[in-house]
Order: sequence, then C-alpha cells, then structure tokens
Amino acid sequence: MSSEREIQQTLCRMCDDRCGIDVHLEDGRMVDITGNRAHVWNKGRLCVKARAAVDMVYHPDRLLTPLKRTADGWQEIPLAQALDEIAERLVEIRERDGARSVSVWKGEAIGFGQQEDIARRFIHAFGSPNYLSNDSMCYAARYFGYKLVDGGWPIADLENARVIVMWGANPPHAHPNMTQYITAARRKGAKLVVVDPRLSAIARRADVHAQPHPGTDGALAWGLMRELIRTGAYDKEFVERHTVGFPELSAYAATFTPEMVEQETGVPVATVIEVAALMGDAAPRVAMYVGNGLEHHENGVNNIRAVVSLDALLGAVDREGGNRFVEPAPLRTLTLYDDVPLTHLGPLGADRFPVLYDLRQECHTMTAMGAILEGDPYPLRAMVLTGANPLLTNPNTERVRRAFEALDLLVVRELFMTETAALAHYVLPAASFLERSELHTHAKHQAITLTCRVCGFPEVQDEYQFWHDLAHRLDMGAYFPWDDETALNRWLLEPSGLTLEELEAHPEGVTYSPLTTAPLERGPFATASGKVEFASRYLKDLGYDELPTYKSPEYRGTPDDEYPFVLVTGARKLLYMHSRFRNIARFRTAEPGPEVEMHPDDARALGVGEGDLVTVTSRVGSVTIPVHVMSPAEIRPGELQITHGWSEANVNLLTHDDRFDPISGFPLMKSVEVRVEKV
Amino acid sequence: MRIVAVDPDSCVACRNCEYTCAFQQTGDFDRARAHIRVAYYPAERACVPFTCMHCAEAWCMEVCPAGAIARNEETGAVEIDAARCAGCKMCLLACPFGNIGFDEADGVSGKCDLCGGDPRCVGSCISGALEYVEVEDAFAFRREALDTRLRHVLRLDKGRP
Repeated sequence: MSSEREIQQTLCRMCDDRCGIDVHLEDGRMVDITGNRAHVWNKGRLCVKARAAVDMVYHPDRLLTPLKRTADGWQEIPLAQALDEIAERLVEIRERDGARSVSVWKGEAIGFGQQEDIARRFIHAFGSPNYLSNDSMCYAARYFGYKLVDGGWPIADLENARVIVMWGANPPHAHPNMTQYITAARRKGAKLVVVDPRLSAIARRADVHAQPHPGTDGALAWGLMRELIRTGAYDKEFVERHTVGFPELSAYAATFTPEMVEQETGVPVATVIEVAALMGDAAPRVAMYVGNGLEHHENGVNNIRAVVSLDALLGAVDREGGNRFVEPAPLRTLTLYDDVPLTHLGPLGADRFPVLYDLRQECHTMTAMGAILEGDPYPLRAMVLTGANPLLTNPNTERVRRAFEALDLLVVRELFMTETAALAHYVLPAASFLERSELHTHAKHQAITLTCRVCGFPEVQDEYQFWHDLAHRLDMGAYFPWDDETALNRWLLEPSGLTLEELEAHPEGVTYSPLTTAPLERGPFATASGKVEFASRYLKDLGYDELPTYKSPEYRGTPDDEYPFVLVTGARKLLYMHSRFRNIARFRTAEPGPEVEMHPDDARALGVGEGDLVTVTSRVGSVTIPVHVMSPAEIRPGELQITHGWSEANVNLLTHDDRFDPISGFPLMKSVEVRVEKV
Repeated sequence: MRIVAVDPDSCVACRNCEYTCAFQQTGDFDRARAHIRVAYYPAERACVPFTCMHCAEAWCMEVCPAGAIARNEETGAVEIDAARCAGCKMCLLACPFGNIGFDEADGVSGKCDLCGGDPRCVGSCISGALEYVEVEDAFAFRREALDTRLRHVLRLDKGRP
C-alpha cells in the first residue's frame, strides 16, 4: 500500500535563525525536513539541527501528560484539573503575598516576539511586573550598546560590505545561515576580521584573526578609534552632522595607543594598525556584528558601545554595506506596559539595573533568586516557567537550585523532564514549534512568515492556548479574547494590510515594506539628542560614565596564584542550543559530552592529555570534566573554554551570580578566574 | 551536467555536510561513514572538503571486476551497486582522491551517489562552500569577484568613492 506523502512549509525554530523548511509527512507523520529553497533567509540551506526536529517531536521521552508532584512521586492528572489547581494556587498566593510575588519566566526555547509578548501580557494582566527571561543574560546588553549610541539596533548589511568584523560572534555554530551571507561578501572581495579569544569556526576564514584576552574587546575598539582619528581616516562629515560627544570621545581615545592596546588585549600592535587601515579603506562599507561573547563581562555594555561608536566613526551607520536600520513590522503589540503600568510595584532588578527595565522591561533573574531565598527586595513565591532550564543555564547553579526548591509554586511547561522541570509542582507538556502557528519577522529582509501547525498531540497545548485557558480561570479572560492562536495571529497582523491567507500562500516570507536605499534620510536618530551619541546624557543622569569608558577585567589585575586560569563559558557548538538536544542520540555520537578546551602547553604543564579528567574550581564551585587539548592556534595559554548546558559537568556551578555589568546587570560568565587540577 | 562544486576558501569545517551524509548512510552521525570528508588544519586554518568528482573517465568504474560501478545517465553520478560489489577494494586503490570508502560490516565499497540528484550535503552547507550547479556556472563567483574589484578600482580612478 503506498503511503501519501505531502510537504508543509514552515520555519525551523531549533535555534533563533528561523530558517524556511519543507516538512515531509507520510500519512500525517513527519518523516523528513529539508530546506525551503525560496525562503528569504536561508535559501534552502539548513544545519543538521533542523532534521532532528522530527526526532525531538516523536522522542520516546516526550512529556505528553500533565504531571503533579505528590508525596508518592509524579502523578498523571487531566489537563483541566492541572489548570484549575494552578489557578487556585496562584490566587491564594496573590491574596497572601501580593501579585508581585508571582512571576513568569519565558525561556529561549519558546522564542521571542509574539510568544514573549503573550507571557508578558499574562503576568501584567495578573497584576505583577515580574516578567523574567533568558534576556537577563543574552541579547539585551547588545541591544543597550546599540540603542544607547545609535538609538536602535541596526542590521549588519553583510553581503554588501567590503570589510566584515565579527566581534565575539561565531555564526557557523550560533546563527548557521548567517555564514552564507559572509561568504557572499567574501566572494565579492570583502575582507573578514574576527575578534575572538578562540579560533572559532568563522575565524577559520578570517583574513585577520584578532585574539584579545576575554573581556578586553573594548580596549581594542578604543585603539581602533584612536588610529582612525589619528590618521584622519574617520568620516568627518558623518561625525559633524550626525553625532554628539566627538571631542570627549577623541580625548578619551588618545590614551589607547597600539602599544597600550597590545599590553591590555594581547592583540599585536601590527594587527591593530592593520585592522584600522582595512576599516578606513573600506568605510563606510564596514559591517560589524557583535555576538554574545561581549555580553558576559563586568564591562560588557561599554565594550559594546565602544564597538558601536567605531561604526559611527566609519560612517557605517544606516549605510549600504555597513549597518542598516530596518522598518519594524507593522504588527499589533500584545504587551500591557501602557495600559497597565506596574512600575510602582518594583519590578525585580529595576532599582539595581534601571536600564534593563527602562529600555527592555526585563526583570533580573539573578535578583529573582535573592527575592525567593532571602525575600530581598521582597518575597517571590510562585513562578510559571515555559521552555527554560535555568538549572543549567543561569549562573551559580547551586543557588538556582535552592531558590527553585524554595518556591511555593513552580509550574514548568516543557517537552522533556529537564533538571528544572524535575523541581516543579506541576509539569505541563508543551508544544514544540511544529505544533503551533505564529508570526515571525525577518527584520533583515523586512519580511513576515506565518508558521503552520504541522502536527499535534492531545493534552499538549500551544503557548497561546495555555495562557488563554489559565487567564480565563483567573478572571482576566478579557485580556485573552481570541479563541485560538489563529484568531490572535489575525488580530496581530491586521495593521499590516496583509492577510493570513497571503502569508499561508507564501511560506518563503512576504515583504512588509521595501528595503530603503536612501540612507540617513529617515530623520533624527532615536536617541535623546536625535544624533548618534558617543557620550550619553541618559547614562550620565543615571550615574554612569557618559562615555563608554574602558574597565579592565578584574582577572587582568593582580595575578591570582589560587585561580591562575581565566575561563570563558558558553561558546556555542553546532549541535546544541544552550541546554537543549542532549537527548538526540546521533548528536551524542558527534559531540559526546562536555569538555574543557585547553592550550597544549597548559595540558603538558598539568600532565594531562586528551580525554583525561581534571577538576576546574572557581570561587563559586567546581566541576570534574574531560580535557580537550586544542591546537596551539585555537586558544591562548592560560585561557580555557567550557560550553554550558551539560548536566554531566555543568559549568554554571562555577559562574558568578553576584558580579555584574553595572548597566545591563548581565553576570560575569566569560572571564571567570579558576584553577585546574588533574584528577 | 550538474556537479557539486567545492570551494575550500568558503568552507568553515562546520561538518554539517559530513553529519548529513553519515545520517543518509547509517541514521547516525559517525563522520567516518560519510561520503564527504572535510579535513581541517588549525595551524594553517585550512578547511578542505573532499567528495567524489564523478570523473568523466572514472578509473574506479573501469577497474571494477564485478561491473558493480556504473554511471547514472540521469544524474551523471558514478554509482556503486552494493548487490554486485564483491568487496575487492580495487576501486579504493584506483581513486586518485581517496573518495571511496569501505563498509566493513557489509563488506562493500561505498561512495557518493549525489543522493539521486539532490545531494543532501549541499542543502546542509551553511557557508555556501558547496553548490550543486551546472558545470559552466561553477566558480562563476570568482569571475564576479574580479569584476567587483575592477569596478571599484575604476571608480577610484574616476575619483568616486
């Protein structure tokens, strides 16, 4: 009997690249995933994570029934009962400790945009400002760097650049299909500069690999600015017409001589001069992209601001081949910050890190741990968490564990029984991206795609249905009037003039407005001064330096005999997305387990070889982990790297949850002082 | 005729092609079983993908005593018929590029068959180093790069930015 094969076109959300995919089904069951050749972003190409979505969806360990923790272990209960009980508990806790003692936590696995905004809407409608997410340690610090200088985060116009600079970013592993845009530029003669302490996958193709010590990128950016100013190679007209603070910037840059930069960063004098010359020659067609590598430091935002200031010196802001502003998608927004302002309730972290709440309405997850454990600044009692695994991904795991164990109510929505779900009072089965329909914006191409529900399981709700059903049990159904996600999608899309039917007919993406070719003609920049701000009055008023001043990382100070190594954590690997996909069997064949990446000289000095076990210890904790001896070119002596997300050797047992970037509140995770001992 | 054009200068050795091919062969990600291999040399930062060139004069095919190797007229691929393969390994000796493997479990040679005309390695090449293109279009980007450089030089010559 021949089976019926059909293809449904949607987007992959195994990572946030959101590539167009063709899902192949036989008798309604997924059998294969291939690339959608017409899709604006990936043009048919896919990394191997996409095909593994089939295995993830049908995985034997998939949670398909609501679970309740009881004295006798997990008990399966009907969905309606679970939602009734959760609603009842939430009301009790709100009556006892106030609405702000309840929070939601939205994980990276759920995505951003629409799904993020539904969670934000829910908690505000409930009366609490405490929306927590992965953005306490990803994305937001870069957003601030760009927002504070340029008034927004423009998109690197990679394929039209003559010089591309990757700062702490490794697209082949982190945003795989960004790599083809870099190739397209290089094939037209563009030079590639990669700034990374490690020889990353993208650095393999670099014309110049600048290898700064972790956290010193800002000194390199200042050194490049000094060179451009000194040689007169900066864009004087752009600086004159479109920026404020140049005299201050210029004066501060003067101390960053190439010799000083070499001393601080380890990047040779000749490399500093070479990169500055490459940039000056190619300006304004210099496209720089900043990755997460710059965020997890005590001076992250200012290092990023320094890089963004460099963009402006090159006149590469809002220019073809530089960084281009894009039009936002004309969609409705779901958040209630204007309708139901709750700032007076003291969003967690807003007092310590005012920028985090003011510019992103993010609460601070590390502060939330203190609220749970010490009632500081006030008690946090309940959390509804969806698609996140902070027990592997947040810093200082032991404290995270204690905090989650201390909650009066923890509800976790998940595909699998994760380390975090195991601590929950209720675990609800969550829908994967292939089991829901939502709108996605591809800002670079100013296009929208609608994803489709390819499959589904009974008792497994999509995100919207979950928040909707819980809201209606909490007398806040008025905020969730749409019967299902399709009705919601239709409402969100309305202002665009596009219809769901048009989007369904064009899974390759529909352009919502043509890409502009008129740079710098869209009026003032979205900063307080209307110009690019080398010096920020906004930050000054909050008590910060107005310039992106450079602060040398603590480990660069006095040598510490007790903790002589500096550990970078969280470099991304191709097959894993943070803590996810460790249960895909073939991924384990290829990348079997955690490892500490080490220079061969250090391995020799420690008397260890490939695969030997060592104990890595920081002031926070220690892990035992096998050694991976790198090639001498791939990492510097004295520097180590461990990727996060492994329960077998969880690197966040070592990371600090009390040393922060003062502007973003991001934790120090990429320059951790450690010692290493042979086991 | 379409070929898998391989451009080492664009390859980042991400290994997506190897995993995809291994998965096609075995359902697992054992790279040793892939019919495309990427050699990576960190000191030189060299990334070199290797796969069957489907030679016009295919020595593997000529040397095969079992007549197990034949050209697929539709795709141009030089293919091994596992059912006829005697496991003599003559094709491994004959291939000047080392692009034929041997499956010890089944006792037969194995090589790229272009996945029947839609090579999965190309679909998983996120750098664009692999392209499945008409032979006359392969490496056209090198001509285009020269064009771009010349246009830039000419613009500068005429005093334009």
